Amino acid sequence: MWEKWIKKLVSTYVARGTVKMKAEHINSFYTAIQEVFKLMLDLEVEKGNLKVIEDMVSSREANVLLGITGDLQGTVLFAFGGEMALEMVKIMSGMEMKEIDNFVSSALGEVANIIGGNAVTNLTSHNYTCDITPPQIFIGEYKSLSMANKRALQIPLKTNIGEFDINIFLAEK
Amino acid sequence: MKVMWKDRYSIGVELIDSQHKELFKRLSEFIQMVQDDRKWAEKLEKVKETLDFLQEYVVFHFDDEESYQEEINYPEIDLHKEAHAKFKEGINFYVKLFEEEGFTEEKIQELSAKLMTWLIMHVGKMDQKIGEYVRSKGDS
Repeated sequence: MWEKWIKKLVSTYVARGTVKMKAEHINSFYTAIQEVFKLMLDLEVEKGNLKVIEDMVSSREANVLLGITGDLQGTVLFAFGGEMALEMVKIMSGMEMKEIDNFVSSALGEVANIIGGNAVTNLTSHNYTCDITPPQIFIGEYKSLSMANKRALQIPLKTNIGEFDINIFLAEK
Repeated sequence: MKVMWKDRYSIGVELIDSQHKELFKRLSEFIQMVQDDRKWAEKLEKVKETLDFLQEYVVFHFDDEESYQEEINYPEIDLHKEAHAKFKEGINFYVKLFEEEGFTEEKIQELSAKLMTWLIMHVGKMDQKIGEYVRSKGDS
């Protein structure tokens, strides 16, 4: 269902020339997120409405940026709200977290890293050989340089403990 | 009582489950010490102690789990050993860093967070397959 929907949406954007990504790029990440969230946090993840964004920006508090290299090149940004970030680490550690300190941000970075690793594995089944660069963590609003004509896709995601986004920009080499 | 262990991590093999519980308990003690409100200098010795205690058990458990896999002729043993080796390498990277640059609070927090995610992922995914294999043998 989601797969068909995302395929249709992505192909619309590609036809308009707004983005050059394929549905399998996005799906590889989405399935990885679902699997890792279920496994590590016991949470289901639901998608929201996909949209095209001009820049890799986030107004959320805890952001993790992964670089993708290889057959596909680009970046993936995970953007979590502060409350959600603390709740995620509470689920994993069984401890109440008071603030987004280095322990919390490192844990988020590693969760994103694991998701990225699984996504890269998923991409191999579509014949893409890729790698990820170590996660960079930004606490506070994240603003990157404008990507000029390169637009990214934003997928809002919903869980029982809050909402987060992933912004994906990938281009074939 | 702060508990990291969750019943869904069980694989259904008593020996391994009880060791996993102990592993999560030691990791939890380490994280609690790292996250303790006391000043870094005051708790550093205790942090080192809980890290040693945890590291010792990681090695013991991995060895024991590998012997168990040999005993039951687990078909994915090589892959599993490789994952254990990577896990230990991950820890050793930090141990070496601490030897060279000293124990900083920042790096210890980073290590404790990584150990938490690695352990959850390893026990929650890879180790589950041992349980599945044992159950499939029992059924046949």
